[in-house]
Amino acid sequence: MAIDKKKSLKVGEEGHLSDLHRGQKCIVLNFHNDNAALRRHLLDMGITKGVVIEIKKIAPLGDPVDIELRGYELCIRKVDMHTIDVRVIK
Amino acid sequence: MKTALVGNQNSGKTTLFNLLTGSNQKIGNWPGVTIERKEGTIKGSKISIVDLPGIYSLSPYTSEEDVSRIYIMEEKPDLIINIIDSTSLERSLYLTTQLLELNVDVVIALNMSDILLQNGIEININKLSESLGCSIIPISAKKNTGVKELIDLIKSKNYIHNQRIKIYPPDVEETITKAEKHVPKENELHKRFIAVKMIENDPRYLVVLNEHTKNEIKQIEQKYDMDGEQLIASLRYDYIGMLKKDCLIVHPHKESITDRLDRVLLNKWAAIPIFIVIMGLIYLLSIGIVGGIFTPLLDMLFNADGDITLTISYIFGSSSFDLYFKGLGPLLGDWLSSIGGSPWLVSLVENGIVSGVSSVLGFIPQLFILFIFLSFLEASGYMSRIAFFLDRVFHKFGLSGKSLIPFVVGTGCSVPGIMSTRIVEDENEKKSTIALTPFIPCSAKLPVIALFAGFFFPSIGWLVSLSFYVFAIVLILFYGIIFKKLLFKGEHSSFLSELPAYQMPTFSHLMRDVWDRTWSFIKRAGTVVLLCSVIVWVLASYSWTFQYVASDISQSMLAGIGNAFAWFFYPMLGGHWSWAATASAIQGMIAREQVVSSMSVIASLSGGTSVFTSSAFSFFNGWSAYAYLTFIMFSIPCVATVSSMRKEYGSWKLTLFTVSFQLVNAWVLASLIGGIGWLISL
Repeated sequence: MAIDKKKSLKVGEEGHLSDLHRGQKCIVLNFHNDNAALRRHLLDMGITKGVVIEIKKIAPLGDPVDIELRGYELCIRKVDMHTIDVRVIK
Repeated sequence: MKTALVGNQNSGKTTLFNLLTGSNQKIGNWPGVTIERKEGTIKGSKISIVDLPGIYSLSPYTSEEDVSRIYIMEEKPDLIINIIDSTSLERSLYLTTQLLELNVDVVIALNMSDILLQNGIEININKLSESLGCSIIPISAKKNTGVKELIDLIKSKNYIHNQRIKIYPPDVEETITKAEKHVPKENELHKRFIAVKMIENDPRYLVVLNEHTKNEIKQIEQKYDMDGEQLIASLRYDYIGMLKKDCLIVHPHKESITDRLDRVLLNKWAAIPIFIVIMGLIYLLSIGIVGGIFTPLLDMLFNADGDITLTISYIFGSSSFDLYFKGLGPLLGDWLSSIGGSPWLVSLVENGIVSGVSSVLGFIPQLFILFIFLSFLEASGYMSRIAFFLDRVFHKFGLSGKSLIPFVVGTGCSVPGIMSTRIVEDENEKKSTIALTPFIPCSAKLPVIALFAGFFFPSIGWLVSLSFYVFAIVLILFYGIIFKKLLFKGEHSSFLSELPAYQMPTFSHLMRDVWDRTWSFIKRAGTVVLLCSVIVWVLASYSWTFQYVASDISQSMLAGIGNAFAWFFYPMLGGHWSWAATASAIQGMIAREQVVSSMSVIASLSGGTSVFTSSAFSFFNGWSAYAYLTFIMFSIPCVATVSSMRKEYGSWKLTLFTVSFQLVNAWVLASLIGGIGWLISL
């Protein structure tokens, strides 16, 4: 899966979770993902519509990424973040 | 009474299990340590308790969650002890809401309650307990507080019984009630749970629904503009959000220690150099310094026979001392001779048993130090960071960042290493990890490296040890990508994990873990290695006609067996026909350290003062030593490893393929290295 490089999103703009920089916050709008197991796992981990996600830490090699949501942190690969549509709020 | 311990990964579940039962299961500060369910009895009672794998949900997609769900539904425990990491309350309660839909009582053990205030969180426990309709006991598994109260509550059975609280909006609850009517008789007990699963489109339960209810579910999905699975997950979290508002106060707090440490340890530029320095230091200290000093000393204590030269090496040099000392083996031998023991008995004790077992025991000091460091890295949470930043690299090579965990566990022993591959979610990445874990030099391989490195590369022994780890990593990445391209082809894989907070491991935990690992090493020396040493001694001391041939070992059965296969090792030994090296390498398939033990027995039987000055092994030079080591490191793993591989693959075919691949690979590499040495010497 091709991931667009260096796409900068400003507050109010929409895009994929993988486009965000460290420290940015966003709200989840939707998923597009055909892997049932992964989709369910993301839901179970609290990535549901409307949840607020902050990019906390990025691995030294740029992937995976540590995100904060619902008061805890989760590591997730960029390919998977690409399947989550978000709107930037900070 | 039957109870089950259920909780998220890395929630302190195994720590609590150990406290409740007084047992001693392995704990690590990374998610997914519990890979098999374990059973015990709660201290001071007859209540049985099962430690289920760490799970986030009861979805049908992962094997851990399935194991847990099946256990709860079919074994019907009387009580679920739901351990919750109170510092990630929302995510933990998500599982709780599912457990509360079952027809089983639930008691919540609110773990890490001791660090809540530190994190600026206050929880109104009474209110939370009232809302959920179940008892809650705040505990700290790490500090062992609240556990007694928890045990007392379980024993007294005075906990609140599950009221199956309604957490969804009225229209969804109505649909659930309707779906409950379709739940088959045999699952009647857990009808609310199964009805919710039906709305979630769980393939396991969908079949029993009639058209009418299916339509109703569709209407609900349309109303909320989400499919059933999304809907239920969202509503659960909505309910938890409400609970949080009522029962939780979060104070703004300054950056945590973990975040501050991660600024450095996960820094874009510093992270990898820091990692390399840490690993280098660990091997330098344990193998370079401790190994260089203690291994020769222990060897002297066991095997010195009169005038000897003791060589102690430390990283940048070595010192030799000429001294007179009689070790345990020769002393025992002298004593046996003095009371009239026959020469074969003296030889069996001195050259067979003491020499064979001590050659392995001599490595305990350095392994002990190595285990302390590894255990510290594991328990402190740093190992999870390594998995986090290596994921990018590993993923490219068809592995997961989590493959690091089997590899690290594999530095101790491949058997638990291969068992821990279960935490790798992606099936292809998991298979690759199983096939490649045995490449990692395990603790039983270290004695073999140390034996050769100490003699042929004395001043850089630690570097030679380290070189095999690097060699192993290169092979792992190389074959990882080949497997990904040719064998375990797959499209998607995911890496979802957590970075646990850094913590200072407690001294008692560290020591227990180190002792466990060391003890299992000692046990092998006392069982497998002891037995094999005796067998090798017999094979090496008697001919096929069972004549005692101590004076000429080349007439022995062992020489015969070795000679039958020596052609295989001919190229890697630089054109030397050696039954002794052959026979020793074959024994490596029983246990790797047995190579060292066998070489010691053969050497002392053929009358050398040390392994490489004996006539059996004096042909070795630097090239053939490295080539032979390469073969020992990477060829077919020991029997125990092969059987755990078979178990995790669930396929003999794949196991046999992996084993043959390892044999061919090791032979080619070793013969190449040995061949170069051979050419140079021509």
